[in-house]
Amino acid sequence: MVSPAIALAFLPLLLTLIIRYRYYFVLFYRAVLVRIWRDCVTGLSREERAYQYVLVHATPGDPDSILEAFDVWCSKVEYISNIGPKKGKILDRLLMEQSPLTVLELGAHCGYSTVRIARALPLGARLYSVEMDQRNAAIAEKIIRLAGFDDDTVELIVNPSDEVIPRLRADYGLERLDFVFMDHWKKSYCPDLQLLEGSGLLGKGSMIVADNVLFPGAPKFLRHIRKSGLYEWKVHRATLEYSKGIRDGMAELVYQGIK
Amino acid sequence: RRRRRDGERDKKRRENGRRKASKDVGEGEEKYQTKREKRERGKTKRSKNDREAKRRETYKEEPVKVKSNKTREIGKNAKNENTRKWEARMGEPEESYTKEKKKRKSAKKEMEEDGGHSIAKEETHQVNKIKKKKKKETSEVDNEDNEEEDDKEKELRPEDLSPEELEKLKEAVDERKKLIQSLRGKPWPMKKKLVALRESQEFVEKYEGALGKGKGRKLYAYKVMMTKKWMKFQRDLENFKTACIPWEMKIKEIESHFGSSVASYFIFLRWMYGINMILFGLTFGLVMVPEALMGRPYGSIPRKTVPRAEEASAMDFAVLWDCGGYAQYSVLFYGYYNNQRAIGWLKFRMPLSYFLVGVGTVAYSYMVVIRTMARNANESGVGDDNSFNFSWKTFTSWDYLIGNPETADNKFASITTSFKEAILEEQESRKDDNIHLTRFLRVLANFLVLCCLAGSGYLIYFVVRRSQKFALDGLENHTWWERNEVNMVMSLLGMFCPMLFDVISTLENYHPRVALQWQLGRIFALFLGNLYTFIIALMDEINLKREEEMIVKFNITMWETSLYNGTEPENSTAPPISIHPADVPRGPCWETMVGQEFVRLIISDTMTTYITLLIGDFIRAVLVRFLNYCWCWDLEAGFPSYSEFDVSGNVLGLIFNQGMIWMGAFYAPCLPALNVLRLHVSMYLQCWSVMCCNVPQERVFKASGSNNFYMAMLLVILFLSTLPAIYTIVTIPPSFDCGPFSGKKRMFDVIHETLESDFPAWFGKVFSYASNPGLVLPFILLMVLAIYYLQSTSKSYKEANVELKKKLQAQNEENKKKNKRAALQAQMVLEEARKVASQTAGQPNNSTVLQEYESEAFYF
Repeated sequence: MVSPAIALAFLPLLLTLIIRYRYYFVLFYRAVLVRIWRDCVTGLSREERAYQYVLVHATPGDPDSILEAFDVWCSKVEYISNIGPKKGKILDRLLMEQSPLTVLELGAHCGYSTVRIARALPLGARLYSVEMDQRNAAIAEKIIRLAGFDDDTVELIVNPSDEVIPRLRADYGLERLDFVFMDHWKKSYCPDLQLLEGSGLLGKGSMIVADNVLFPGAPKFLRHIRKSGLYEWKVHRATLEYSKGIRDGMAELVYQGIK
Repeated sequence: RRRRRDGERDKKRRENGRRKASKDVGEGEEKYQTKREKRERGKTKRSKNDREAKRRETYKEEPVKVKSNKTREIGKNAKNENTRKWEARMGEPEESYTKEKKKRKSAKKEMEEDGGHSIAKEETHQVNKIKKKKKKETSEVDNEDNEEEDDKEKELRPEDLSPEELEKLKEAVDERKKLIQSLRGKPWPMKKKLVALRESQEFVEKYEGALGKGKGRKLYAYKVMMTKKWMKFQRDLENFKTACIPWEMKIKEIESHFGSSVASYFIFLRWMYGINMILFGLTFGLVMVPEALMGRPYGSIPRKTVPRAEEASAMDFAVLWDCGGYAQYSVLFYGYYNNQRAIGWLKFRMPLSYFLVGVGTVAYSYMVVIRTMARNANESGVGDDNSFNFSWKTFTSWDYLIGNPETADNKFASITTSFKEAILEEQESRKDDNIHLTRFLRVLANFLVLCCLAGSGYLIYFVVRRSQKFALDGLENHTWWERNEVNMVMSLLGMFCPMLFDVISTLENYHPRVALQWQLGRIFALFLGNLYTFIIALMDEINLKREEEMIVKFNITMWETSLYNGTEPENSTAPPISIHPADVPRGPCWETMVGQEFVRLIISDTMTTYITLLIGDFIRAVLVRFLNYCWCWDLEAGFPSYSEFDVSGNVLGLIFNQGMIWMGAFYAPCLPALNVLRLHVSMYLQCWSVMCCNVPQERVFKASGSNNFYMAMLLVILFLSTLPAIYTIVTIPPSFDCGPFSGKKRMFDVIHETLESDFPAWFGKVFSYASNPGLVLPFILLMVLAIYYLQSTSKSYKEANVELKKKLQAQNEENKKKNKRAALQAQMVLEEARKVASQTAGQPNNSTVLQEYESEAFYF
């Protein structure tokens, strides 16, 4: 039997681990435990709860107030991994600089990033938003309409991204994508990027922005862009949305084509 | 020869002509040359002037005639230039000016091209140039000049040089050599440096052998060859020396990957290894080997024999690993040594040697540590970090030893963040509102650390008390865990508490260098507490053993008398009964026990270090690397990641390890050998693990100042570890039946004994007088006074340094003011020129005039 004194000697290690990884524990609590509990209590999904909150607290037709309501809900009440206000500012800046006319968004989730992008688009630009999940797409649709964007500006495509990308040219008459924003499954970053490369929709100067490349992280994606040499790229370092201590990054890629 | 030279000149002229033609085409562009080019031209002009000035100096010692010639020429030159400038300024027609420019260009070109040839030749060229200029500008041809030119042409043949010219050539060669030497410090672009170097070398090669005539020439050539050989030999020797420094390449590689703070640990480790080698040499050569070779062999006397009760298990690995059995009864431990005064045919004074080596190792360590500290203090100089914070950051923050792109990235990021932080800090200090929070956090952190220290101290105390209880009960009744509780708890606390401190220290928000020092201080306190708790426990055990010894001593006398009583009546004339030494009862020998404890501690410590290295670094790295293919988040960039190299923990581990060696080496002569082994292994193991499993620190910082910090800590530890050793030596009488000092009242009595029996009587008398308190006290007083005096003088020097620094600063400010004034003046001149230019508007050349003016202004 191990003596209690030796067990006590492990106390500093335990404390160290708890303190060092406290943000991860908090995240686990907020994103998993609270969610399960709330699901059981209310019988609604997380996205529906968020939608209800936004409906109550935001002004319809005002994207800013909708985004703000989302931010408040995500940081105070529960947790949804939207892009968040800090990284959102970087995204806004990139959009302002680029002012793209055709934008593809992979992973609308519940519409936060869609509203964010649509808000920053120039007149006459069109945003194609891809969402796989039916229920999430319904909520995203509602949120987008609530923010006052119509079908001409934002087109929501309810399908998995790997099915949508090859058919973009045929079904939607797209010739070139100016801006692609990725925030769906981290594992599909790399295959989707390869699909995009293969589809020929990326032209010289097309920008691709991928969120959460460090946490939860997309190592294959990073390895691919490092190796392929098709892009000029950098990673904007930031923290994970609605959390202070977890480092995360947003990759910004500019397609250069084959030299 | 002359023809050739003429031909060359002609060619050059033709070239110039060609260049002129091409220039005429691109003249329009030429007018709007960038300012930089102009500056360059200004530089060459200046350098020309410099060279002329130099030449003037060199010619001073020459015959008057030459001097007069020269001065005239220089004067002409200067006049020429002046007139040129004035002409240009007066707004001469464009053509002449552009010619001028071209000429200057060509002159520059010539200079560059002819760099490899003699200065004399350059002179001729210059004269040529002057001549040309004169032809074109003033059409004033001087016959004298012509003659002079011819003279110069003659000089160029090394075969029939006059001694005077020879001297000149020699000087030129010397100048070239000087240039080669000082080239590294010249503020030139690399390309120019390379060109200049190659040309100078060629020149030296060509003309060095040509110097001297006949016999002298040969001698000279020989001398030159020999110097070259000697230089090469020296260089090779230097290379060889660097190659001989152990692990130099490894450390350099690590330095390039991880920055100098990690490398400083390895350098420290190497230094430690060197010291331990010497300690090992002392103990091995003067104690262990003589005893093994010349002392009585194993089994001859009781103290050199395994007791009968232990004989059965004396060779078991578990027993040997615990330093029992045959390991205990060998030269490795104190108890094995005999108290025989002189051993072997050499009459080697074993007890004296043992004592002196024990004292000598400590004295040597003190000496080395203090000397190194003094040297480091000299090197570090007087730097104050507060006065020019941003300048320091700008100019000195790069670590030039980094050679790895990833580390360079990290360093770059850390410099940027440090700038941001410094700016923020500056703002904060201006704002001065958040300081209370920081202070509160720092106090809180220290409080937490204190709590942690107290907790660990109490835990060790508790464990030690428990282990004493176990020892009284008999160790056989308890489990392995309980028997090894003390060592386990000490190692675990030593491993985990620094981690906790590290986490706590993020609260404080210090600069990493300061944070490292705090961290070191805290771990130091922790280790020290642990060590001293351990020593106190040992002291208790020593007292127990001594009580046991008293009983054993009494028993032995009883046993002996009973033995003799039992045998005597039978035949009193027979020789005393021989009893096998293994059967003789013996005392507990506390010295060996202390030595064993230390050896065990060292071994368990080493094991813990290696196991943590393997588990914490290697296994973790392997898991992170290979689980990353099938994990739901990025393990490498995110949560567990790879470990960083923990400089402070490793340094302190090393220092405390050394402290234990110093403490225990007197009772276990094998300790330095063990330590050398450990350091050797850990050098290779840690080099490997740092290169293979660690990532560069996120905040790479330089460790230039930390070396002396390590040394200071080492000194403190040395002092603290010698204290208990000296205490035991001085106050506790040695065991009666083991060790070199058995039978004496105190261990240091061996000195007295030697003085009395081995030295003449007068020496003993002198020694007793010298050790008289009446003499010793004044001596100590004198020493204290001397120390006080030296300290006060060094303080005054420091003050003087500060004063000088202030003066320098004031001077700098003055200079700045002067420069500002000069710049203002230059601006005024420029304004004037602009006015003139606007007055002569319409003329096409105003911009060139302006340019000229600007370059003039640049001279100010």
